[in-house]
Amino acid sequence: MSTTLPLFRRAFFDSWRSTAAWAAGLAAATFLYLPLYPSLGGSAQMQDMIDALPAEMTKALNYDQIATGPGYTQATLFGLIGFLLMTIASVGWGAAAVGGDEESGQLELTLAHGVTRVQVVLERALSLFLRVVLLAALVFVLVRLLNDSAQLNIRPENLFGAAVLFAGLALLSGTAALCAGAVSGRRTYGLAAGAAVGVLGYVFNAVGRQSEDVEWLLDLSAYHWAYGNSPVANGAEWAAAGWLWGISAALVAGAAFAVNRRDVGT
Amino acid sequence: MAQAISTRSLTKKFGRREVLHGVDFAVEAGSVFGVIGPNGAGKTTTMRCLLDIIRPTSGEVRVLGKDPRAGGPQLRRRIGYLPGELFLEGRVTGRTLLAHYQAISGPVAPGRIDALAERLGLDLDSHTRKLSKGNKQKLGLVQAFMHDPELLVLDEPTSGLDPLVQQEFHAMMREAQHKGQTIFLSSHVLSEVQQTADTVAILRDGRIIAVESVSGLREGAVRRVRFTANGTTAHDAGALLGGVPGVGHVEVLESGGSITLSATVEGAIQPLVRALGTLELTDLVLEEPDLEESVLKMYSSPADTGPADAGQREAAR
Repeated sequence: MSTTLPLFRRAFFDSWRSTAAWAAGLAAATFLYLPLYPSLGGSAQMQDMIDALPAEMTKALNYDQIATGPGYTQATLFGLIGFLLMTIASVGWGAAAVGGDEESGQLELTLAHGVTRVQVVLERALSLFLRVVLLAALVFVLVRLLNDSAQLNIRPENLFGAAVLFAGLALLSGTAALCAGAVSGRRTYGLAAGAAVGVLGYVFNAVGRQSEDVEWLLDLSAYHWAYGNSPVANGAEWAAAGWLWGISAALVAGAAFAVNRRDVGT
Repeated sequence: MAQAISTRSLTKKFGRREVLHGVDFAVEAGSVFGVIGPNGAGKTTTMRCLLDIIRPTSGEVRVLGKDPRAGGPQLRRRIGYLPGELFLEGRVTGRTLLAHYQAISGPVAPGRIDALAERLGLDLDSHTRKLSKGNKQKLGLVQAFMHDPELLVLDEPTSGLDPLVQQEFHAMMREAQHKGQTIFLSSHVLSEVQQTADTVAILRDGRIIAVESVSGLREGAVRRVRFTANGTTAHDAGALLGGVPGVGHVEVLESGGSITLSATVEGAIQPLVRALGTLELTDLVLEEPDLEESVLKMYSSPADTGPADAGQREAAR
């Protein structure tokens, strides 16, 4: 029986519960944060409170723009809770895709069938890409839905660009996890690599914004590439999106190359 | 094609540790070839080399006439593989999982999966991770057999199966052989292989130390004979048996005018039967040969060629 993309189909459809759970989490976060904007971020009282906070802290949390609708959405949803949820989901899926499957002993049986190793990596990476894109699309749709009622005033094209960067940032961590898992054959190494990309990106951004002496850290932060100019407010820097998606694709290619060259399941 | 599998000077190193030190064997197309050896002998590594899961360090491997790596997916579609340790996770039913493997293996005849599952007594609608070890093994067997591959590579196929299912599995192997399929299987016990295999290779510490036909093993095998006879003495009976070629370990018990004698017989049994014909027997037991013992003679070092005792048997396993 010939089915197109059999490995993709299995990786994508067998994990629908996980995809649905992360979608529910992201939706809950969106519905929790955004409707609060009129009474929280947009209020003069809130602005006074933020002004009272140490400047370092507001910079670290990206709360310096929280008084506008786009800034609030950028800081709370795309920059914090959504970033966290998406990164965890993507890293988990990426680490499981090859490294986790090999570690659990199941990759051996798959490879004993009529598939190539490159095909296994590419189809599973495609499943990762599609799931991340679905989650980003969901966030895009929900923010559009809440835009009026929560008085956010986000321009659709800026929101779209932010969603592309949002997906690209999560993919970078996820494909780093996939690649490290594929190189090592261990899920844990995949998780560590993916988490490192996500966490270091966030930390380098938070620290790099503190002073000019450490500004070079920003160049190392994928988080800053994506969100440095607040895309929800100012529109996406498409070059940054190209880097995030391009490096992700390169990591997938590296994973395919690595798995194709080594022994599996030893 | 005369040979379904052949390896020449196959070696495999993991880092500095060499686990296969030049394995040579050939499996005739249409035959059942069993590899036995203790755990860690290299059985699984050899099988993984056949499927290009592991790449040999040196040497040549031919599977269905092709190099496993060059043969790629087309070659693997013609093979059914059961891994030694089968891990099936995920929240899918056996049916869904098999449909997936069906999509990435050779063509499966309609109804074949259900027929195999029914034969083995496997419920296809329960979730794979809730299956017992035996039922997972059945699922593994179904995925290996379902596309009627030219070559079956089965690593410890009966592990976890209860005796009735083992018999059904043996019947499946015989049918496969009738259809012209070649079977390459491994085990750490000979008794399993001797029932089904034509040829047995003994792998030990990464080397093939013997390749024997099962009938050849049977001929060279050691049998036990025990009989009770009237009208003779222990001395006479002992002398009579001692003159028969291949007889050893004679023990005689004399009690109340009859004697009970037990001994081992190696090789042809005709001389023994002729000698026994001169006695007035009241009881005779000639046991089926224990191939395990004859194999264990090969396992043990050349200096120690006597029949292995129970302690050695356990150690060799």
